[in-house]
Amino acid sequence: MGLISNYNLRSMIVRKSTAAMTAMGIAMVVAVFIMTMAIAQGFRGALVASGSNDNAILLRKGATSETVSAVLRPQLPLIEAHPQVARGDDGKPLASPELVVIISLPRVSDGHPANVPLRGVGPRAFAIRDTLKFVEGRRLTPGMREINVGKAAVGRFQGLALGSDVRFANATWKVVGVFTADDASFESEVWGDVDLMMPAFQRDGYQSVTVKLVDPSAFDSFQAAVATDPRLDLKPEREREYYEGQSATTGTLIRVFATFVTAILSIGAVFGAMNTMYAAVAYRTREIGTLRALGFSRVRIVTAFLAESVALAIVGGVIGCVIALPVHGLSTGAMNMTSFSELAFKFRITPGLLLGGLIFSALMGAAGGLLPAIRAARIPVARALREI
Amino acid sequence: MKFIGLIFKSARRSKRRTALTMISVALAVFLFAALRSVLDGFAAVSAASSAQRLVTIRSTSMIFSMPTSHTEAIRSTAGVTDVTWANWFGGIYKDPKNFFGQFAVDPESYLRMYPEVILTPEEKEAFLADRTGCIVGDGLAKKYGWQLGDRVVLQPGIPVYGSLDYPFTIRGIYKAGSSAVDNQSMLFHWKYADERSSPQGQVGWVVTRVADPEQATQVIAAIDQRFANSPYETKTETEQAFSAQFASMLGNLNLLLGSVALAVVLSTLFVAGNTMAMSVRERTTEIAVMRTLGFRALTIFLLVVGEGLLVAVVGGAMGAALARVVVNAEFLGLAGGFIPLFGVNNWNVVVGIGLSVLIGVLAAVIPATMASRLRIVDALRRVA
Repeated sequence: MGLISNYNLRSMIVRKSTAAMTAMGIAMVVAVFIMTMAIAQGFRGALVASGSNDNAILLRKGATSETVSAVLRPQLPLIEAHPQVARGDDGKPLASPELVVIISLPRVSDGHPANVPLRGVGPRAFAIRDTLKFVEGRRLTPGMREINVGKAAVGRFQGLALGSDVRFANATWKVVGVFTADDASFESEVWGDVDLMMPAFQRDGYQSVTVKLVDPSAFDSFQAAVATDPRLDLKPEREREYYEGQSATTGTLIRVFATFVTAILSIGAVFGAMNTMYAAVAYRTREIGTLRALGFSRVRIVTAFLAESVALAIVGGVIGCVIALPVHGLSTGAMNMTSFSELAFKFRITPGLLLGGLIFSALMGAAGGLLPAIRAARIPVARALREI
Repeated sequence: MKFIGLIFKSARRSKRRTALTMISVALAVFLFAALRSVLDGFAAVSAASSAQRLVTIRSTSMIFSMPTSHTEAIRSTAGVTDVTWANWFGGIYKDPKNFFGQFAVDPESYLRMYPEVILTPEEKEAFLADRTGCIVGDGLAKKYGWQLGDRVVLQPGIPVYGSLDYPFTIRGIYKAGSSAVDNQSMLFHWKYADERSSPQGQVGWVVTRVADPEQATQVIAAIDQRFANSPYETKTETEQAFSAQFASMLGNLNLLLGSVALAVVLSTLFVAGNTMAMSVRERTTEIAVMRTLGFRALTIFLLVVGEGLLVAVVGGAMGAALARVVVNAEFLGLAGGFIPLFGVNNWNVVVGIGLSVLIGVLAAVIPATMASRLRIVDALRRVA
């Protein structure tokens, strides 16, 4: 095996310009694959990071997202009374009644208005979302017309910087703090006091209540307790599962697009590899004849040429990964179909995705190399040796 | 011209290789034309928007409604000739995955405002007469196999509309007269939804026709001024500006699709360039013989470029033709809601073929230069 793999490797180097072109063709496909998948992963990541396993979110039965849900004010103390809800240092239950509405603000990049989610939160919201960290300023004070803004929203929309005044719902609100949340979707949001948001937007109820559980395993008993209470027509869901579901529509859309584009592109790249390998086989007919005369079996010849093609493709795959890597961490935005607003997220390239890209390139190499390799093995020895 | 035969001959030299390259170029052009048509679809919506129509929404955001009294106030604004209104219903047809636009509209004024919604006189009459009637776009009807007279039941998705199901009867299947309206939506009587809503008397947005597009700016200012500092402030825009917003909310489509298209072209360039280089390398001796016979370097150069062009353009034409047939809204049954109708048009085909010309020339330039600069003595000495 050593001899023959050495032979194939060397012949690849001899034909370096052809090999390089083929590898580059594959590299472009792998780069597109990784970049588009990085969008899908980043989008999903931003939403999934929003959910914690320690938390449960309660929505109206049958509601698929916060925007179409409703929780009545008197239901809040009933939820808070459950023993599965954790208590803060002050002994108060960690539950945050919330209201999400959409406001329209001009984008920094082109000045066009875009939808920004505005979340009215209860005073305990910051204790429940423990990934939240303030990078500038401070928490909003309940009862004051103050808002906190996610880091991703600050750069994308006009007038959201610390200390500035924002006008919506016939009132002026002061930005008193900017927070990060481990790239979660909260970073695209604006937060204010829920008790001020309700009258400002003429709402008379909350949309959801998020609670911190005493322990992630307490979820089942909490769910059972809520289900048996006739006064609560609500359905608790683990916060992480809820946000995973929220990413499904747009995530699937991006993934379908990525698959469609890379599938078509990869056919072209496979044909490129096929051309190269056919040429390689034709060029080395005599050498193949010699190898066969020396006693190398047909199977060995097939594997050798297949391996050459796969190796070439993997080189391309590695180049593709390198080309795609710089987009990691770049932030972009897309519309979240379920909340009807813009969600900022970062391209996310994981080791798994890179590995996927490499496997994909190897498959392209194998697909392109198979037919030429079989052809190489089928060449009759006598004729091959006679060729000049 | 006399060399055309020679070009054909060299392209046929390795039929398999030529075919593979052609298909690669065809796929690239197919993809390019398809991506281009999506962007054009968005552009067409805003191009087809009427300059005479204005859309008024709540200044906070579209999701908030305003009282019906706004429509009368807008009607009395100077320069306004007609007013209609609509609500987004957001209902669920069997499964939340079946997403399409459902609008509660004031039927008479809405059809007057949008002559692009084309119905036969009988359908129109039947729709206006039936309070629980609805009309659906022909694309949507095809998607779900709906016929005139069919019953369609929507489950309300927004709490405002209560929790009971809404049964409808299809009274008309409309055609879209221009890209300003899509054929993937359902329209029904605003009153039907309103009587079950809480609170009642709410409209989502108001569409206004102005007598003179030149006055649009003044009318917009007058409307918004009228509601300033009220609990229901408004924001009025031309229909064009309004529809452009939806495209921009989907993210930076131009950049995303543009960079994908660039990668497509680059990867095809590598494939085609490689093929041409191979083809030239194989013919080293042949080219040297031709040079000896007196063919000029320029002729050799043009021959190779011609071969590249031939392969690429044939491939490109195949890809563009395929895209023209496969990528159209009716064939795919996509679109609806916020995604406009799109399909590959003749212009996309022309651009696609132009792209294949570019690929052919670029891919052949380096091999052609190599071939024309060949040193005859060395080449003849070489045993390929």
